[in-house]
Amino acid sequence: MKKLTRHKSALAAATPALAVMFGLLASAAAFAADAPAAPAADVKAPGSGTKPAAKLPNPRSAMTGQWNRYPEIDEKPLPGFPPAAPIPPPPLKAEHKAAWEAHRKTLADAEAAGKPIFSNYTACLPDGMPAMMMGMFPMEVLQTPGQVTIIQEAYNQVRRIYMGEKLPAFDEAEPLFWGHSSGKWEGDTLVVETIGVKEDVKFRDAPHSNQMRIVERIRLLSPTMMEDQVTVTDPVYLEGPWQWRWMYKRMPGYKMLEYVCESNREYRDETGAARMRLGK
Amino acid sequence: MKKSTARLTRAVVVGMGFTLAAVSAAWAHHSFAMFDSDHQIKVSGKVTGFQWANPHVYIEMDGKNVKDDTAQAQHYTVECASPGILTRIGWKFNMVKSGDEITVIIAPLRTGEPGGLLKQITLPDGRKFLNGGPAGKPNIE
Repeated sequence: MKKLTRHKSALAAATPALAVMFGLLASAAAFAADAPAAPAADVKAPGSGTKPAAKLPNPRSAMTGQWNRYPEIDEKPLPGFPPAAPIPPPPLKAEHKAAWEAHRKTLADAEAAGKPIFSNYTACLPDGMPAMMMGMFPMEVLQTPGQVTIIQEAYNQVRRIYMGEKLPAFDEAEPLFWGHSSGKWEGDTLVVETIGVKEDVKFRDAPHSNQMRIVERIRLLSPTMMEDQVTVTDPVYLEGPWQWRWMYKRMPGYKMLEYVCESNREYRDETGAARMRLGK
Repeated sequence: MKKSTARLTRAVVVGMGFTLAAVSAAWAHHSFAMFDSDHQIKVSGKVTGFQWANPHVYIEMDGKNVKDDTAQAQHYTVECASPGILTRIGWKFNMVKSGDEITVIIAPLRTGEPGGLLKQITLPDGRKFLNGGPAGKPNIE
């Protein structure tokens, strides 16, 4: 009983701090809908929880390499690098929240019944942005003059970040799986702005408009650890910024594998469930 | 911070980490819900096909449920992880060949069709391999 009380008081102590943090996130500035090229420096990034090592290799070239998500499934976290917090639900506006929650419940119920609903994965379609940065499989970062190219091994996804590029207006950005990305350096942090993600390319089923903007602050935490602080804003669907962190650990000497989704055995049956086609 | 609180905090952080992994798997993957991991079975038999391709590697085999004396031999389709996941845990593209006698532990399809998700394979030379983190471990011997 005594232990329970101590547990409760630890949580009670933490709650005001958490409330302050969420309050800060909720009040971060929203971007003007018609100025996608505005600098993203005014968006408060979520707290990192990890101080970068004092001596880092030059990130302008040292981000190049192969990276795995951290921590990997079944991987024990390293001392000094606590895992990122779970991704919070999207801060949808009230009029959109109920529909999203109902959809999530439909998916969960179908899973529980053993009849999962057919998804883009089973159609061999790639994740798009921002999901490709979650690191389902290893990720390759290639820094060349004026450009950063990131390849995600799962579904062989490729995004290209053009340094210093002026992004088009929202309505002039052709909708793409990985959007249009512009990058710049702020000290040792690569700040990337992405717009123009197709409306049916969703992360965690969250609806978005063509005014969705994804800002990433990517930096090395050590010679072998990197983080991506992601902030999604959408004045049409979201009440405020949707923020989380992804972390990566370097894979020295790893050679990226091919991925061609050529042998898809899953199909959608008449009830909408995903099924597996048996062979001979 | 008192030692006991520190221990509790560590436990909570570790617990969150494991929860995160479980949630991530549910979000990041095509679903494993069509397979019954609670009622795994063991099948022994002969490989008739081995398809090493994305998004999933498949083993085709003619085999019998070894724990059911009344079971008939039938054709099973066994779903494995992607070539990438398997490569990173030691599989090779030519590790399984038609004609090989193997044993597999699988989570069978809930539909009752003869197929399932691989949990563990035993090769003709006795080596055992799992099917990567997301698929989970076998819960039978």
